[in-house]
Amino acid sequence: MRERLARLLAAFILFLPAVASAGHTVTVFAASSMKEALDDLARQFETATGHRIFVSYLGSNAHARQIEAGAPAEVFISADADWIDYVVAQGRAVPDSRRELVRNELVLVAPARSDVALSIAPGFPLKAALADKRLAIANPDVVPAGKYAKAALQSLGVWEGVKDRLAPGESVRAALAFVAAGAAPLGIVYRTDALAERSVKILGKFPPRSHPPIVYSLVLMKRANQAARVFAEFVASPKAQATWWKHGFITDPERASDR
Amino acid sequence: MPPIGELDVVLLSLKVAFWAVAASLPAAIATGFVLARKDFPGKTLFDAAVHLPLVLPPVVVGFALLGLFGPQGPIGRWLEPLGIVFAFRWTGAALASAIMAFPLMVRAVRLAIESVDTRLESAGRTLGANRARVFITVTLPLAWPGVVTGAILAFARSLGEFGATITFVSSIPGETQTLPLAIYTFTQVPGQDAHVMRLCVLAVLLSLAALAASEWLMRRGAARG
Repeated sequence: MRERLARLLAAFILFLPAVASAGHTVTVFAASSMKEALDDLARQFETATGHRIFVSYLGSNAHARQIEAGAPAEVFISADADWIDYVVAQGRAVPDSRRELVRNELVLVAPARSDVALSIAPGFPLKAALADKRLAIANPDVVPAGKYAKAALQSLGVWEGVKDRLAPGESVRAALAFVAAGAAPLGIVYRTDALAERSVKILGKFPPRSHPPIVYSLVLMKRANQAARVFAEFVASPKAQATWWKHGFITDPERASDR
Repeated sequence: MPPIGELDVVLLSLKVAFWAVAASLPAAIATGFVLARKDFPGKTLFDAAVHLPLVLPPVVVGFALLGLFGPQGPIGRWLEPLGIVFAFRWTGAALASAIMAFPLMVRAVRLAIESVDTRLESAGRTLGANRARVFITVTLPLAWPGVVTGAILAFARSLGEFGATITFVSSIPGETQTLPLAIYTFTQVPGQDAHVMRLCVLAVLLSLAALAASEWLMRRGAARG
């Protein structure tokens, strides 16, 4: 009896991948901030085509380093141009497959129950608002969201005051989690992250001119199969725009100022 | 972040691991004793709860700590007015390490106490010593090699703690960035490969030292027994 159970279990484990991979599979490395929107699009694509989409969400820097080490990604979506440049320079990407996908904005968030009132302006009292606590932010040296946040704080002249009071996350979603749990009283994340997490509220939006434009780009890896190419077309197509828009991403920079 | 000195990272790791073990050792001895010698309703459940960190994904422990011990968490909210803060402090890294290493310590202590002959304890009792005195003068000295082994094992586990720590207290250089966190953080930065390599070598050396120490103590214990 016991032996039979063990055999059944072994068979189940061995054949699980075979069952799951009817049709082609595509491995996508995407910026962690795209989680909800890209999951949504991947489901739509799977239903329409029968292909399977596997998406890994991490800080774009981590993905770029993994691709450098030979990770089997077929599509790479980065939250900034630097990490696309990086994989292109490694010779692992198809350079002319590179395209701009969507844009995003940077916001200051607090736990939903917080009563902090703070408006973003040059020299605004960010350090005082933190008191003895820390500002949750993606790692400002390498993670795109952290680099944008650092640039914004520098141009507003408040970086020097808070650079030693950071709680750096390995991705923007790690920073978001610190604020959502109430461990950090303030954090800087993308607007889309704040919309996806009900435990945080947006205190204010950073002026677009305070940081480089937040542009997500996609590039195909040299190992990409046909299904990966079709998926790349799909997420950049007009059909996908409504989904991006629904999750708060900006597909048309002209309309950004409407909100 | 400019790479801060490797020595600072090692010293911080040692500090975190030392306090993780030192602060939880009394509780581990008490828990090990209870599991070895006492029977009570719900013991199986208690045993399972003690062992939970051994089998749970570390990130779950880290997330639970973040929720409970954050400044707005049900425990953190009470501790903060007393000046006890864990969030994003090295003390939080020690707490995470202590919880992850606790089952290892308890297991070693429990085995050691179980192997102590209860007749020796009874003899102590008939000679007029109360339970506490018997524990301190008979049980604990006989179980001591096992306790030390457990403590060293827990120390080594604490040096390697990653998932619960980064989830709970982030990776702040000089505050919570212990050896594994520093290695992880620098693997994500191009051009830091040499730095990463040096940190990896240090991690190997530290782990070997801890293993050698526990081996030596175990042999010494065996030779005595």
